[in-house]
Amino acid sequence: MADFQTSTHRAKWISTPQELLEKHQAANQRAIKMLEQYGITRLEVDVDGSLSYPEPVLDQKDNAERSVPKPLNCDEEQLMQVFYEQKIQEVCAAFKFPHKIQATAIIYFKRFYLQWSVMEHHPKHIMLTCIYASCKVEENHVSAEELGKGIQQDHQMILNNEMIVYQSLGFDLIVYAPYRSVEGFVEDMEEFCQVRNEEQEKFQDLRGTAKLEVDKIMLTDAPLLYAPGQLALAALRRSNEVHRVLDFERYLESIFSRQRSSHSISQLIESMKTIDFMLGKLKIPSTKDMRHIDRKLKSCWDPSSQDESKKREKKSKHKSKRTASEMQGAPAEVRKFQGAS
Amino acid sequence: MGDGRGAGGGRPAWLQQYDLVGKIGEGTYGLVFLARTKHRRCCIAIKKFKQSKEGDGVSPTAIREIMLLREISHENVVKLVNVHINHADMSLYLAFDYAEHDLYEIIRHHREKLNHQINQYTVKSLLWQLLNGLNYLHSNWIIHRDLKPSNILVMGEGEEHGVVKIADFGLARIYQAPLKPLYENGVVVTIWYRAPELLLGAKHYTSAVDMWAVGCIFAELLTLKPLFQGVEVKATPNPFQLDQLDKIFKVLGHPTPEKWPTLVNLPYWQNDQQHIQGHKYDNPALHSYVHLAQKSPAYDLLSKMLEYDPRKRITAAQALEHEYFRMDPLPGRNALVPSQPGEKAVNYPARPVDTTTDFEGTISVQPSQPVSSGNAVAGSVAAASVVAPRQVPRPMPMVGMQRMPGAGMAAFNIASQAGMGGLNPGNISMQRGAAPAHQQQLRRKDPGMGLQNTGYPQQRRRF
Repeated sequence: MADFQTSTHRAKWISTPQELLEKHQAANQRAIKMLEQYGITRLEVDVDGSLSYPEPVLDQKDNAERSVPKPLNCDEEQLMQVFYEQKIQEVCAAFKFPHKIQATAIIYFKRFYLQWSVMEHHPKHIMLTCIYASCKVEENHVSAEELGKGIQQDHQMILNNEMIVYQSLGFDLIVYAPYRSVEGFVEDMEEFCQVRNEEQEKFQDLRGTAKLEVDKIMLTDAPLLYAPGQLALAALRRSNEVHRVLDFERYLESIFSRQRSSHSISQLIESMKTIDFMLGKLKIPSTKDMRHIDRKLKSCWDPSSQDESKKREKKSKHKSKRTASEMQGAPAEVRKFQGAS
Repeated sequence: MGDGRGAGGGRPAWLQQYDLVGKIGEGTYGLVFLARTKHRRCCIAIKKFKQSKEGDGVSPTAIREIMLLREISHENVVKLVNVHINHADMSLYLAFDYAEHDLYEIIRHHREKLNHQINQYTVKSLLWQLLNGLNYLHSNWIIHRDLKPSNILVMGEGEEHGVVKIADFGLARIYQAPLKPLYENGVVVTIWYRAPELLLGAKHYTSAVDMWAVGCIFAELLTLKPLFQGVEVKATPNPFQLDQLDKIFKVLGHPTPEKWPTLVNLPYWQNDQQHIQGHKYDNPALHSYVHLAQKSPAYDLLSKMLEYDPRKRITAAQALEHEYFRMDPLPGRNALVPSQPGEKAVNYPARPVDTTTDFEGTISVQPSQPVSSGNAVAGSVAAASVVAPRQVPRPMPMVGMQRMPGAGMAAFNIASQAGMGGLNPGNISMQRGAAPAHQQQLRRKDPGMGLQNTGYPQQRRRF
């Protein structure tokens, strides 16, 4: 495909940590402003895919009585995003989609929330639409209905959000996931080490663990900061620390001696260390952890729920049980998904 | 609510920046319109994609074409200048620089009106530019898969006069992506330009299929008629096209496992239900079909493009280096100027426009001039900047659609255009189901069926 070097991925979607922070803050601030102004943040996506803004719920007379819901802060938004990114991996695994689908969907999801706050578009909906879009782009076509059915979500919601997702991505839909780079590097490493047959297994282990590391890296900000090749090398380096298959630094030197690069080895090692650090910091919130944030989000979406939140919770639990029993033929792991939000 | 609604009497807001001229093409994907930008008066071809199947969301063909075009930029490839969204029916409108001509119309003009061949300079320049664009695509791991004269556009008068633009990427694929059988997409592809390995049931697409098509187009430029005009078997899915193979074998002789070792692995050759293995054909006579001396460089190049074995078939990069392009007349950027100082330039007719058709695809009662179908999209005079500054009612996050810097191209910006968020250009009044009031003549009918293929050819390592 168009090469990574000339891609929109490289030109437009690799940022600095500072830029990332600013974008997330801007989206968060905008939603908070909206909350102050209207008392609600949710953007309604109509059946025809257009957006509408909230009608002010804070009428003059109400104003005094009702308190403005508390907005989510940036950290909470981030936590929520990680939660749903990991859900993307779960859903894709349950559907047995190829690895690439999951990675593309997560990258779409991350890019989407560079423009928007979770208070504006609910990540549960966007996550599904990102999976749907990823399937379309990667030619693994699944109908929205099938996808929705498998996880008991309204498929119309997936379709309603499709256009806004493409728009938010600026129609830059070709993305480069690190999995392919891992394959390429491992092959190259085998050549570099002049592997004999009996050593093949070690490289299989190296590859396997590296792919699991990439799965984790996908949940951090790293895919928005580094090229897929760098992410792959970081994953391989970590994997090599477990399996001790080759002298990693010597291998890096060999790469640099073979091709001209704008980076230096030390820069590369520096970025691998940063990725390590991000992985160390990565906290995957549990459904339990989410409950508090989710409650906040709910009140931003629907302030009236604040008063009746307890009632609602009971109701929704009941409802989800009922639908779960109605479910047919959906992958078992997907049922867990119901528990979220 | 409804920030952008109601502006301008039932038309999508983005349409205000254009003056619609009329319909210039029609295909399986949808309709193509000619429009002028109010701002600079540039001609723009707007391709409207039909909505895909109910419940299928945004048209996958449109998505595929956009995503590929977003990644590529080359003088001999059409330029996507904008993407518009009609929220009312979730359809996409792709705006391209307009190209006045295409190879289908150029060849037809020579065959039916002028009754003389296309001059050698023009043939060579068209072919060279086509190969140049294709070499760019192939080196970016993109296979076009549907090359045919109507998809090869040529720019009309202006700064880019006579420049070739490869168009219609609806079927194009990236090598590494699994290539699904085309019939699954319900797409009709012409069989006349289809490579023999595909006709024999090959499961893999390689860039060599595009080179076969270029060979067919080269011959057609020389003789003004399709080289292998097989009668298509219409059935689904992917029937065996015996007549098309028969036409090829008659001209090129029978393929043999000696010359084409992998032939024996091809499904239709293997089961040989139609006894294709036993057929006897006269001696190959390609040179007499195309009226070229067997020793001429032009013949040499053509026969290398029409090599049976896809692995031996010449690549676009190799073809560009061929002797044919190093001898007089040398190929040039403007393929449509006279090659000799004294020669008269051919005046190719402008693309017919059906001015009775509205953007919605509805046709008023008045019959008008016939319309030819084609993909009238591609570069025009100045790089078009069709982004009209617009008041967005509320600051919204936007994603600019700016391409790589340095390409010297005008910026365009999808998000602001589509009225991301705040604007709702969805107020289009759709009048579907209005029957066409007149018969359209000259409608191009491309024969062809879905192609069989799957698989993951050519791995690539990247950093």
